[in-house]
Amino acid sequence: MDSQAAASSMSDFNESDRKELQQFIENEHQKAKFQTNVHNLTDMCWSKCMTAKISGTTIDKNEKPCLENCVNRFIDSQKTIVKQLDYMGGRA
Amino acid sequence: MSGVGGLFGLNPNSSKDERKQALMQGIQHETNVENARMLIEKINEKCFEKCIPKPGTSLSSGESLCLTNCMQKYMASWNIISAAYIGRIKSDPAI
Repeated sequence: MDSQAAASSMSDFNESDRKELQQFIENEHQKAKFQTNVHNLTDMCWSKCMTAKISGTTIDKNEKPCLENCVNRFIDSQKTIVKQLDYMGGRA
Repeated sequence: MSGVGGLFGLNPNSSKDERKQALMQGIQHETNVENARMLIEKINEKCFEKCIPKPGTSLSSGESLCLTNCMQKYMASWNIISAAYIGRIKSDPAI
């Protein structure tokens, strides 16, 4: 199928089909954004919390709370920085 | 290359709903592939760093075992982080 045929196969989508597709794409986009954030957080928090030698497949007792704290403190940091920038902007 | 329609296996003769379904499945597939690609890339990076501190002439059995364990552990960490992040978003929707 050439791209012209592909385009014409799209053209009989009516308004509600287009809305539905648009909503679906928006949801997938949100999902992808969330997953990217989790990848970045896992990267950072792995470096901070998994400092011991790997000796098994399970996450040990103190690693799990470390990972959870890492996520929450990262978000706290982000909020603190944004608040501070806001304050600086207000003074300027 | 046959355009976006061909990419998602669309056939102009199939019904409108079939084409809509195919399009959605194609998009979802792309999201899933990208997520898996990213996970593999991170596991490679993190577990190589952790398990192969001094690369030798071949991968030792200890290093191979470390890589297998590390991979499992990284995926478990991803799930813990994901749950913690969801929990935070729910309790703190302002972020």
